[in-house]
Amino acid sequence: MPRRNRIRTFAAAAALLLAATATACNSAATPASGGEKGGSARGVSDDSIKVGGIVSMTTSSGYSKKDTDLGAKARYDRANAEGGVHGRTIDYLGAEDDGQDPAKNLASARKLVQRDKVFAVSPMSSVAFSGADFLNRERVPTFGWGTLPQFCGPEYIYGFGGCMVPMPGGTITQSWPEGLADVMGGAKGKSVAILANDNDAGTFAIRTYKQGFAAAGFDVTYAKAVVPAASAPSDWSAYTKEILRSDGGKAPDAVVSVMQTPYNIGLFTAVKRSGFKGVITDPTDYDPGLLAKSASRKALDGVHVLLTFEPFESDSARMQQFKADIRKAAGKDVPLNMHMMTGYMSADLFLAVAEKAGRDLTTASFQKAAKGFSDKDTMVGDRELPKGQKESFGCGALVQLKNGRYEVSSPFKCYEPIPFK
Amino acid sequence: MADLLGFVLSGLVSGALYALLATGLVLSYSASGLFNFAHGATAYLCALAFHELHSGFGWPTVPTALLLVCVIAPGLGWALDRLMFRKLARVGETAQIVATIGLLVALPALGLWIVEVLEQAGAPVKPAENQFGLPGVGPSPAVSWQLMDGVGVDSDQLITWVTTAVVAAGLWLLLRHTPLGLRLRAVVDNRSLVELRGMSADRLSSVAWMLSSALAGLAGVLATPLLGLSAHDFTLFLFVSATAAVLGRFASIPLAFAGGLALGVLQNLVAGYASFADDLTGFRTAVPFLILFGGLLMMARRQRTAGTAAVDAPPLDYLAGSSWTRRWGPWAAGAALLAIAFYTVTTPFWSGILAQGLAVSLVLLSFTVVTGLGAMVSLAQATFVTGAALVAGLLMSRGWPFLGAALVGTCAAALLGAVVALPALRLGGRSLALATLALAFLADQVLFQTGWLRNGDTGWEIPRPVFGPIDLGDDRAMGVALLVLVTAVVAALSALRNSPTGRAMLAVRSAPAAAMASGVSVVRTKLLLFTLSAGLAGFGGVMYASYNTRITATDFTAMTGLIWLAVVVAAGVRRPQFAVVAGLVFALMPHLIADYVTESVHLPVILFGLAGLALANDPDGYAAAVSVRRYRRRRASSPTPPLPESLRRRRGWSRSSPRPYRGTDAEPNSAPPAFEERGPGRSPEAPQAFGKGRGGEKDALALHGIHAGYDTAAVLHGVHLTVRAGEILALLGPNGAGKTTTCRVAAGILTPRTGQVLADGRDVTRTGPVPRSRAGTLLAPEGRGIFPALTIDENLALHLPDRTDRDAVYERFPALAARRTVSAGSLSGGEQQLLALAPLLQRPPKVLIADEPSLGLAPRVVDEVFRLLAELRDAGTALLLVEEKAAEILGVADRVAYLSQGRVSWCGPRAEVEADRLTEAYLGIAADDPHATRTEVSGP
Repeated sequence: MPRRNRIRTFAAAAALLLAATATACNSAATPASGGEKGGSARGVSDDSIKVGGIVSMTTSSGYSKKDTDLGAKARYDRANAEGGVHGRTIDYLGAEDDGQDPAKNLASARKLVQRDKVFAVSPMSSVAFSGADFLNRERVPTFGWGTLPQFCGPEYIYGFGGCMVPMPGGTITQSWPEGLADVMGGAKGKSVAILANDNDAGTFAIRTYKQGFAAAGFDVTYAKAVVPAASAPSDWSAYTKEILRSDGGKAPDAVVSVMQTPYNIGLFTAVKRSGFKGVITDPTDYDPGLLAKSASRKALDGVHVLLTFEPFESDSARMQQFKADIRKAAGKDVPLNMHMMTGYMSADLFLAVAEKAGRDLTTASFQKAAKGFSDKDTMVGDRELPKGQKESFGCGALVQLKNGRYEVSSPFKCYEPIPFK
Repeated sequence: MADLLGFVLSGLVSGALYALLATGLVLSYSASGLFNFAHGATAYLCALAFHELHSGFGWPTVPTALLLVCVIAPGLGWALDRLMFRKLARVGETAQIVATIGLLVALPALGLWIVEVLEQAGAPVKPAENQFGLPGVGPSPAVSWQLMDGVGVDSDQLITWVTTAVVAAGLWLLLRHTPLGLRLRAVVDNRSLVELRGMSADRLSSVAWMLSSALAGLAGVLATPLLGLSAHDFTLFLFVSATAAVLGRFASIPLAFAGGLALGVLQNLVAGYASFADDLTGFRTAVPFLILFGGLLMMARRQRTAGTAAVDAPPLDYLAGSSWTRRWGPWAAGAALLAIAFYTVTTPFWSGILAQGLAVSLVLLSFTVVTGLGAMVSLAQATFVTGAALVAGLLMSRGWPFLGAALVGTCAAALLGAVVALPALRLGGRSLALATLALAFLADQVLFQTGWLRNGDTGWEIPRPVFGPIDLGDDRAMGVALLVLVTAVVAALSALRNSPTGRAMLAVRSAPAAAMASGVSVVRTKLLLFTLSAGLAGFGGVMYASYNTRITATDFTAMTGLIWLAVVVAAGVRRPQFAVVAGLVFALMPHLIADYVTESVHLPVILFGLAGLALANDPDGYAAAVSVRRYRRRRASSPTPPLPESLRRRRGWSRSSPRPYRGTDAEPNSAPPAFEERGPGRSPEAPQAFGKGRGGEKDALALHGIHAGYDTAAVLHGVHLTVRAGEILALLGPNGAGKTTTCRVAAGILTPRTGQVLADGRDVTRTGPVPRSRAGTLLAPEGRGIFPALTIDENLALHLPDRTDRDAVYERFPALAARRTVSAGSLSGGEQQLLALAPLLQRPPKVLIADEPSLGLAPRVVDEVFRLLAELRDAGTALLLVEEKAAEILGVADRVAYLSQGRVSWCGPRAEVEADRLTEAYLGIAADDPHATRTEVSGP
């Protein structure tokens, strides 16, 4: 067949397809996945509510949040044991593994909504949340770890501790600077050096914490996002030198790292070897699993770690309950970690809002209940919605690793946020 | 000063690890010619095994490490070489790159899967996730010593240094002072010559892979405290150490080793003193990739441009000669069915997945331009995707309409493509792949960290467009719209392929120098290819982002680009419709496997990685595998010869690259009988006399009725030759007569299509060059049969392992003795030829086939060479001497054979050689056909 002819055939085929789309679209004006019809809601039956989860479990970086799933399960199990929510048990499908892959995150969200027909997604804990737009558009209440910007703003998405990403025009949580001031006996005249990764996120972290620590009264003598972000440096001397001379040639009173565990282990080891005697603090290394390795135990010894929830070391009734729930769900004693708390409290917030929504549970009634939701004295402090979709609940504690165990160095407390400039 | 010392000392730690990895890369590259992207994955696997065996099973550190480095890792290297790399060495470079990319994801998944299985079996394994501060070989936590203020070392660093130093010394000893090392270096230097000298290059390549794997394992065990168990970090570490391999030009182990050390130090110095770049977010992160990119450009300057010629064979056109309906009908029907399916059978979930598959297809189509059409491996496609989508998102946030934003985004990607193409103009093959990879990482780490472009982690919203009644917010409409776009792009690419521009691209692909000579601008064509491909990727990116309804800077990273390449090449990168298949399979497969096969997340990844194994058998991809096999079977059973080239060339897509399938397209009937028609020439030995020479003596070498050639071209049409021990047979003939082909058949490099090769009366037709050489039939190939990078003494030692033999050679050739430690490449042409022949004199082979031994030598040296050859004859060697210099050779030859147009036209004793026969032999025409000669000479 001559070429011209062929092209014409292609064009004709294309036109045909276009026409098909056009006519078909006219008849398909409603959203593909249905949504609400009348009083019944997707995933809600007379005696159960279907809930799914999305969690990064397997990754190529070796970082996994898979215990989030266990935490959520523990909380739902208890809710079901107590009779469910207004007579409906929670049918928790378990978490989909998104493997830290944005494409898989969206596919997981689609699967949960379009195939499994869940009413809500809780927990959602990953490093990327590309399913957010889809879940929000499909009106799926979603609860998770609010460290991603998608937890700040969209109507149907809630962070269990609020939105933890400071947004321009929003506020900055002061639990870390204030907690550190508490540990150091006041911030006045104390200098801090803040170190972050050399990428956009690091630059942003420096911008917010510089302001936060200064507002708490600290003297920020060093704040740089300079540590290569691709993989942890083998050698930290270049960074420690700069930091330890930052307070007018002297070492600062505190070194603040806003980096992940592998970086912190290297940095803290190097800082201590250079003879630093001040306070060291970071927001990520509250993981009793780290105590199992002598190298990490030594590197983190004496470090004050920020938590946004009540420390496991607390002996409140709710913490006892948490531990009992986890033990029951796991079937044995397991070392606790913050991912369990993430899953547990995501489930908890969902249950609390669902409880408030009443027996007539639809997305609309759920959202309405969420609008003015508030409660007090949970393991993440005082919760309030929709405020929590704009800022964090603002509570935190510092724990210090001493002699192989964590000790509370600044008790769990909620602080007044400051405006983010 | 203490600062500087500290930076240098501690820089040497990562430098040592780079050096270990780079050395392994060079070893495996030189052994089998492929750049092993999975080298870091091997290191990771060993780190994982070390962790499980030590922390999980409680095995002691040092024996575990030794077991891994000395047994397990080499075993893995050996297995991979046998299963994969050996076969891959014979297919195109793209398939090689892709197969190792497959391994890059498959090996870690394999390790994690084994851990999973062991855990289910109740073995005391530890989880592989969230493991920080892992113990290495030394004490944990590491003991540290403060040397002076600000300069300290710890036990892990010390162990790394000492081990690396020991390994360096060990490697040096092995390579410099053992026969095995000598052979390994010889393989690196000249692989084919090694085979001709009776050493199995395959076996040596296995050894090289085992060594390389062991080095990776060692690096893995040593790096465990540093990198933990992050496969991603190990791979990044490998890419950085590729810089060192580049510095060693993938050939020199000492240079690569030194390069690795220097790299670590340089990186540390930059980290320590790069305060000037504090305002440029991502600069320090990107330093290793800046160095890699710079190193590639620097090294490329000294390379020949001719090195960019593609070795990829064109794909087999199994639909050659079919009608348009046959060719495109099934695809068109498939597309129509898919469009209908969107509105009839598929559930919303599957509609979404299919639409996603089509969006990926659009991106994958860009590979068929740059890699399929241009034979350039671009690992930066994800950069174009992200760039275009970010720009489009940025514009849409400012109120631009979808189409306008998509257009500008596409142009931005094309522009980015042109920038990336600049290095492509001077790089080729794996250097280009590495350079684009470095640029992709640079873009990820610097360009896409720019605040105003990426908009933090929020990224930009790219709402699905609405055109009048068509609302692409519906997945089904989106799917059909993408289908239309994909169809249009496939059609456009097919049209492009057949246009003059497409032909120019193909010309540049297969022979840049020739293309240049035909008036095709190589620079412009390469630039166009990259720009077009980048634009297409960018457009696909905007559509993909629109399917996701959002783009963030981390959605598509450099590593995503790597996976995409593997996905599309596995399906077949040479035909655009296969890219669509690839996209759909890529999107559907994980869900299908999860639904019907296994819950394990690791198995699909392992399967994906094994696609590399399939590539070794089907370099054109799985999408064509069945059709190609059916076509081959049909061809094998049908007697019809392939279409004439000229006819095929006029046909459509992929048809103008004809490759009649390998192996059986011999044309046994087309060649006329060898001598009967040639008239007055004396007929050589009758066929039945073969195997037995005159006087009942066995022929040392006999070729009988040899038909041989390369792929499409038949060169020899029934050659008969015999050489007896102690005889020199001179084979004369003009260029293109088939002299070298005859040599290759005689040495076993080329297997004849029909005919028989006998050595000492034994049939050796099907044996390769190694056993033939071991049995005493040696080929001294055209040019110099020496290893230029080895010293004179080493060159001799390969043939004469015994020192006394070598001493005898030196006694005979004092000129060589005086310079025995000089590298052979620095000798003059004549000296090199003497060096090649000298060891043979000491231990004469049964048969020596010398291909133009006097080529390019001064007359005085030629005399010397011929004298040596005569000496060999007197020692009882049978010599087949191929020459163009008839006058000199007639002085030593016992018998003479003329080769013309693939046949021996005359053969007889030297005394009977007549001048007009010489003329005939040289001009390739019969002397009794004067008209022909005259026409040739006086022609315009």
